[in-house]
Amino acid sequence: MKIPILRLGRVLLTSIQVDLSDADAMQFQGDLVTKISEIEAMGVAIDITSLEVVDSYMARVINDTATMARLLGAEVVVCGIQPYVAMTLVEMGRGLIGADCVFDLEQGLARLNERIRLRGDARLDDGE
Amino acid sequence: MPSNRLAPIRTLLSRDRETVAEEWASDVLRAWERNYPNMISQDETRHQMGRLLAEIATLFADHDGDTPPKIPADSPLPGLAGEISASRAKLGFRPTDTAHFVIALKNVLTRHLVRMVEGSQLDLVVCLAAVDDVLDRLALMTFDAYVEARERVIAQQSLSLVELSSPVVRLWDQVILLPLVGIIDTVRARQFTERLLEAISRYEALVTIIDVTGVPVFDTGVAKHIMKAIEAAQLLGTRIVMTGLSPEGAQTLTKLNVGFGEVTSRASLRAGVAEALRMIGRRIVAIGG
Repeated sequence: MKIPILRLGRVLLTSIQVDLSDADAMQFQGDLVTKISEIEAMGVAIDITSLEVVDSYMARVINDTATMARLLGAEVVVCGIQPYVAMTLVEMGRGLIGADCVFDLEQGLARLNERIRLRGDARLDDGE
Repeated sequence: MPSNRLAPIRTLLSRDRETVAEEWASDVLRAWERNYPNMISQDETRHQMGRLLAEIATLFADHDGDTPPKIPADSPLPGLAGEISASRAKLGFRPTDTAHFVIALKNVLTRHLVRMVEGSQLDLVVCLAAVDDVLDRLALMTFDAYVEARERVIAQQSLSLVELSSPVVRLWDQVILLPLVGIIDTVRARQFTERLLEAISRYEALVTIIDVTGVPVFDTGVAKHIMKAIEAAQLLGTRIVMTGLSPEGAQTLTKLNVGFGEVTSRASLRAGVAEALRMIGRRIVAIGG
């Protein structure tokens, strides 16, 4: 199944709500990086509020996607990690390194905007 | 008693040289014109062929006996043949078409000899063998010259590619830009790294932008080369902004687990320049804004 990727200005929103098969996960990753590159996104919020279980593969996919997004020049936040998921991730010794984690989508957007404001290219769209 | 089984060749090359030259030239020029229209000068080619034919005539005229004449070391023949085929190589002719001009002469001579030699068939065979032998060797020479010329062209091209394709541009007071274009191999990597480091220290660059928009393939090798350049540059005290990475490139780098951890990355050179300017406390504003 295809994960929708929503555009909000120069920020991309995406929400993973069900367990993804390996192929779906790869598809999601490819779609997202293509989209980031296409619109030159400055921020990406990956919401996983509805995920009850995150296995090591899924953790890796999210982590890799965040790394790719940063390589393409976007800030990344991961929103809504459930307490139980957080515990398993720590147990596995595999945090979502590098990506900022925030409580929910609202905070995620706030964090993204804050980080984008500090960037050199933040005001390019105003015609400068 | 000197044998004169090769006499028909001598006659052919002295008495009928004009006819032979004409047939040969029209044969060759027709083929070349078809494959490479408007690329060759007819007069020049005819002139070159005339000289070559004259030298072959001299070779047979100075030779006694039935064995095919050897091409002496001081003969101008190899030089002439080489000149023609080298100039073809530079024009981008295929090897087949270049070799064709010697082969075509063989055909012309054979045609005439078959008509001229009226004695025994043995005479004809000896004549044809002699022609074959000399022209085969000439053909080999032209091929050698062709390959040599081609290789010189290639060597020159790769040299100029290395020389020209990795300039380091001073973008602002303490900002420099390294645009990478094309395939990155070990030689080029070392070269652009050297230039980059030299430029960083010359301009005391605080920020270095590395633009990889023009790099078609991103694999471990390329990533390793760029990473090394980045690490060396960071040791000098400059900050790195990488721009123009493609989605495929980002996926490859992540899957290869190449960490560009300390490097700021931006989608486009435009965003990268803005980022670099911010790092030195400047930004671009509209006039009067």
